[in-house]
Amino acid sequence: MKRALKLVIWLVVALLGAAAFAKIAFDRGEPLNATWFVVAAVCCYLVAYRLYSAFVAAKVLTLDDTRATPAERHDDGRDFVPTNKWVLFGHHFAAIAGPGPLVGPTLAAQFGYLPGTLWLIAGAAFAGCVQDFVILFCSIRRDGKSLGQMAREEVSERGGFIAQLAVLAIITILLAVIGLVVVNALKSSPWATFTLAMTIPIALLLGLYLRFVRPGRVLEASIMGVALVLFVVVAGQWVADSPSWSRVFTLSGVALAFAIIAYGFAASALPVWLLLAPRDYLSAFIKAGAIFSLAVGILFVRPQILMPPLTRFVDGTGPVFAGKIFPFCFITIACGAISGFHSLISSGTTPKMILRESHARFIGYGAMLLESFVGVMAMVAACAMPPGVYFAINSPPSIVGGAGEAAASTISSWGYSLQAQTMTDLAHKVGELTLWNRAGGAPSLAVGMAQIFSSTIGGDRLLSIWYHFAIMFEALFILTVLDAGTRVGRFMVQDLGGRVWKPFGRTGWMPGVLISSAIIVALWGYFLYQGVVDPLGGINSLWPLFGISNQLLAAVALVVATTILMKMGRMRWIWVTLLPMAWLVVITMTASYQKIFDLNPRIGFLANANALAAQITAAQTLGLKISAEKLAETQRLIFNQRLDAAVTGILAVMILVLIVEALVHWYAILTRRKESVLHESPYVATQWAANYSGAAHGDD
Amino acid sequence: MRRASKTTARLLRRFWRGLREWCGDSAYERYLLSPHTQSGACPTLTAQQFYVEQLNRRYSRPNRCC
Repeated sequence: MKRALKLVIWLVVALLGAAAFAKIAFDRGEPLNATWFVVAAVCCYLVAYRLYSAFVAAKVLTLDDTRATPAERHDDGRDFVPTNKWVLFGHHFAAIAGPGPLVGPTLAAQFGYLPGTLWLIAGAAFAGCVQDFVILFCSIRRDGKSLGQMAREEVSERGGFIAQLAVLAIITILLAVIGLVVVNALKSSPWATFTLAMTIPIALLLGLYLRFVRPGRVLEASIMGVALVLFVVVAGQWVADSPSWSRVFTLSGVALAFAIIAYGFAASALPVWLLLAPRDYLSAFIKAGAIFSLAVGILFVRPQILMPPLTRFVDGTGPVFAGKIFPFCFITIACGAISGFHSLISSGTTPKMILRESHARFIGYGAMLLESFVGVMAMVAACAMPPGVYFAINSPPSIVGGAGEAAASTISSWGYSLQAQTMTDLAHKVGELTLWNRAGGAPSLAVGMAQIFSSTIGGDRLLSIWYHFAIMFEALFILTVLDAGTRVGRFMVQDLGGRVWKPFGRTGWMPGVLISSAIIVALWGYFLYQGVVDPLGGINSLWPLFGISNQLLAAVALVVATTILMKMGRMRWIWVTLLPMAWLVVITMTASYQKIFDLNPRIGFLANANALAAQITAAQTLGLKISAEKLAETQRLIFNQRLDAAVTGILAVMILVLIVEALVHWYAILTRRKESVLHESPYVATQWAANYSGAAHGDD
Repeated sequence: MRRASKTTARLLRRFWRGLREWCGDSAYERYLLSPHTQSGACPTLTAQQFYVEQLNRRYSRPNRCC
């Protein structure tokens, strides 16, 4: 009877999800209500978790709760700490959920709401969650080894080296692109710039408090810090209203880029307790609060989706970034569907804290489902605003013809009606000078979030506060990724340099710290500067590069996972990781090819470089005088386009080498030319009772 | 009524404990209770030493994603 009831409940969930999906996919009448998105996503996640993740856990991985995890065997209270599964879920989710699932779907909304939403849900269920889950499992079985170590041991030395290079590539491009998102959110906005700048002294204050006054009392320090941050969000309005202060905090894109570069260097070189860690605490609390509030806001307001299911830009002529749905939708939305970066978290801290193998399903698969849901919410927030406004905020001036009437008329000619006055009024309402040409996703998401929040509390009166709260929330945790990423990059550079000259590898040697910090900051800083001065908006070239490198890392992770499954003798179920891997290789290779060789200058880097070179030649042929400054600028743009093409080419070659390497290795295993050695830690039976929950100070 | 208030109090206690664990507030207490520390194999760190050591370790590997 109980079993039948369960079956009926799951049938209802599945049918409800299917109905909501059908409504989203086929409804072409009145604007859809956002509730359909929530229902479709939640039902699909429930079914995927209940059926697919259970299948992967039971049949593919055969999780074994009698086996002691690394946290039990090496419990030292420092690195290996047995942690309650709900707490660890929170840890893992806070680590994997960065700006990607918010920015990617917002940018992909230029295709309409349908492609991005489908990819977010299906990609997460069949690829992203599987990757996180399987890599977490593999790392648990290997005492919490990193992805690079597992690639070296299970695939080959070269596979491990490629994984290390892929991590460095993704860190460099990721930091540049998220830096660009912050620049575009803050430029010419004294309120937002002041708010974000003030988070630095607040973090320093918290750092000193946590180090010298009350060591490690993170909760009380964070509560004080969050209160101060909320205060400076409000105080930002006074700064914006004061002509003299407003001038101080009104910065151009280039000035902001240099400020962010200087910040990244400082955060990497200064002691971690002083700036980086306290900012991370602030960011974690505000992130959790803002995401929760957005979910509640969407459920409470139930906004209408004004963006059509498919826009005219599915043909590849989109103003935000150029390129067709295939492959660019799948490259643009990485985090939220599948993100290679997650495999670094799944093979880093989490496996050392997990209590039981069976928790890997809830933490690995479940946390990724939640991140996908964050992506769906971002899509809803972006699509709930009028499409004309969305395109006005996200299109670069070179595409729409600047700002004001000319830009409004261009956007209206695309079929998305827009009055210039609408943008002026909106900017005024949110307390900004202008909202035109803010490519990057953050401002449009902030407008969407502010509209949802203000419909819940405060109405139009609080719209400007909500907008700047949303901008602060996005910028704060983007900078947290930026400073933590720079520090990790610094360690990688020191590690590589230490192989050539030993003292350079010592993490406490100050000249080594300064030089390696400068190298990693120069690497991403160059791409950031290039993005800021790019007439096509920067996002057009940098975001696809980021997507390609992220998916490359995911391909590395899935190659490792597939190899391990093969060695475990799970040939029958190998498609679970092999199919997502094949899909990633296809989209990454297609996107790489198009980004390098496409004849459209907005898509192909080389075509753009050639078009720019042709402009110079044409002007010289006609005898037109080009100023030395303009000539130098154009030549720099040409160089940057060729550099982007080279970087894309290197990423593509890395994928090809890895695939060939893996195929050779798999062939050798299957034909028994090579002994299949699994580098798992030996089995040790758990000593914990079946109901042990990991509560450190006694359970109720 | 009494049972409901007891259940609520228990849930709130659990939530509070989970929150402290999640943000690292109780990390030092947890460290003192770990078998490794209890065994006395290594000198026990002070709260300040533990805090700095823990941060240095945590931020030397990828711990925040995109």
